Amino acid sequence: MMSDERSGAVGPHERVAGAGRGAPATEEVIAVDQLSKWYGQVIGLNDVTLTIGPGVTGLLGPNGAGKSTLLKLVTGQLKPSKGTIRILGEPVWGNPALFRRVGLCPEQDAFYDRMTGHEWVTALLRLHGYGEREAADTAMGALEQVDLQDAAHKRIGAYSKGMRQRVKLAQALAHEPELLVLDEPLSGLDPLARRKTIRLLRSWATLGRNVIVSSHILHEVEALTSNILLMHHGRVLAEGNVHQIRDLIDEHPHTVCLRSKHPRALATALVGNEDVLSLRFEEDALFVQTARPDAFYARVTEMAAINGAGEIYEITSPDDNLQAVFEYLVK
Amino acid sequence: MSHAPRPAQSYWHAVLRVFDMSLGQMIWSKRTVFMVLATGAPVAIGMLLRGIHEIGMSSFRVNGMPVPGPVIFGGMIWILYLRFVVPVLGAFYGTSLMSDEVEDKTITYLFTRPVPRGSIILGKYLAYLACTALVVLPSVTAVYLLIAPVGGGSIGATFPQLLADLGLLAVGLAVYGAVFALIGALVPRPLVAGLMLVFGWEQVALLVPGYLRRLTVAHYLQALVPHSMPQDDTVTAIQSLFSEPPSIASSLLSLAVILVVSLWLAARTVERREYILQQ
Repeated sequence: MMSDERSGAVGPHERVAGAGRGAPATEEVIAVDQLSKWYGQVIGLNDVTLTIGPGVTGLLGPNGAGKSTLLKLVTGQLKPSKGTIRILGEPVWGNPALFRRVGLCPEQDAFYDRMTGHEWVTALLRLHGYGEREAADTAMGALEQVDLQDAAHKRIGAYSKGMRQRVKLAQALAHEPELLVLDEPLSGLDPLARRKTIRLLRSWATLGRNVIVSSHILHEVEALTSNILLMHHGRVLAEGNVHQIRDLIDEHPHTVCLRSKHPRALATALVGNEDVLSLRFEEDALFVQTARPDAFYARVTEMAAINGAGEIYEITSPDDNLQAVFEYLVK
Repeated sequence: MSHAPRPAQSYWHAVLRVFDMSLGQMIWSKRTVFMVLATGAPVAIGMLLRGIHEIGMSSFRVNGMPVPGPVIFGGMIWILYLRFVVPVLGAFYGTSLMSDEVEDKTITYLFTRPVPRGSIILGKYLAYLACTALVVLPSVTAVYLLIAPVGGGSIGATFPQLLADLGLLAVGLAVYGAVFALIGALVPRPLVAGLMLVFGWEQVALLVPGYLRRLTVAHYLQALVPHSMPQDDTVTAIQSLFSEPPSIASSLLSLAVILVVSLWLAARTVERREYILQQ
């Protein structure tokens, strides 16, 4: 269990055991210790300590949470204001040799537009020391992986947003890095390309490679991995398995939606119970906030069984999706 | 698909790789249009003068005396190339070596490769040098071929002078490019700073008696020019009044020092500086 300082009302950066983390030092892919980054007066990242183990890890947070800052620090584009980072056991800043083992798909839509996709990936591979022929063949292989082989010899300037996103991914994985760092990689992809990319990244991880992927869209990350880091205001709020994070937030107020023909009668039956914190109506739905979800679910099940307050025909919890988990933690 | 681990590249191997990648980008950049205009204008002037001469409309005279083509060519080297084309191209290209990559946010792709950061600016500098030399030197040669035979001038007799001019301008492109590469690595709006250096500092410092002019590139370059300085305006007259040109050897040595120190500082700056991309 690792801890960090509290951020607002959210609580400590809590580490969830058994989520594929806490790996021995030799298996630490990313190790960050008391890392901070300031842009003048603005704090980009605030005293973050974490370790990321092998496999796929999702980095979640709204825009401005510090995800991109963390990834830029991890990939040596920024120098820490304070603290240390080690990637695959090596320091990052001033260590270009490390980039033989790391691939980055950055967030920005920036390219040498006059180059073709193939020329661009080939040129970047040449910077890795590939020979001309080998670089050209490897680049084509990478473009095939992202389904861009047919557009390989088109100028990047003529690519669609989705194609540009895919060629960025191709240059990141072409040299087969041990660690692939992806900043919003699914942004701009159509559903089919999105599905293929997710499949590609999953298969990449099964080959024993590591992926860290950031997104502000939770279902994207959920489709890639259950190992997540939640970030907000430059801090890591929580890290671990999605389900365990849900257990974690069960300690926080939990919302349940009950749909019934008689929501007011249902509310009357529930009000006053010690596990109910608040009630509100929305058309035929009653939203109950509870601090003890297990007890509450048991009570509602009992009421439904005896039809004590009219028929309850739907019980849902916004906590069933990652968005709610995230919202709970950042509120 | 599986690749063997790449062996580490030498520093100069990395420089050449960046050069390979940058040359095409530079040649086809928007700045090339400006470069073609800047180097095409003297050629157009040369064609005009040659045309006038060929149709026998007029000969070139100063105070009633005919001026041979090589002298006109020497004047063009001074006025057009040395004072304008070379420093301005150096400023436009040299300052952009890093700033274009940073503004376009493509620097990320270079900084996350297994090459030393310093090799990036050195590779791009070599691409700048190749790119500008490939355009400027043919332009000078074309002007020479157009102008030199005019008024009884002889190409054969003055050809060594052309070679000296080409060498001089190549040195000018190299040194100005290095200075502006350093400025581009150091300051946020390097083109403005570069143009201020060309049209401000370099001009003013040359007019001031004393040692200040030794802090300009122009002072050493002018000592290498094989032609006499044309007295085309007051500024030039004042310059020539205070002119104490250094020897060719000391000029070449000084220019070499400026070039090496500027490139070393530029590479060191890029190695150490954190480039924060605008969101």
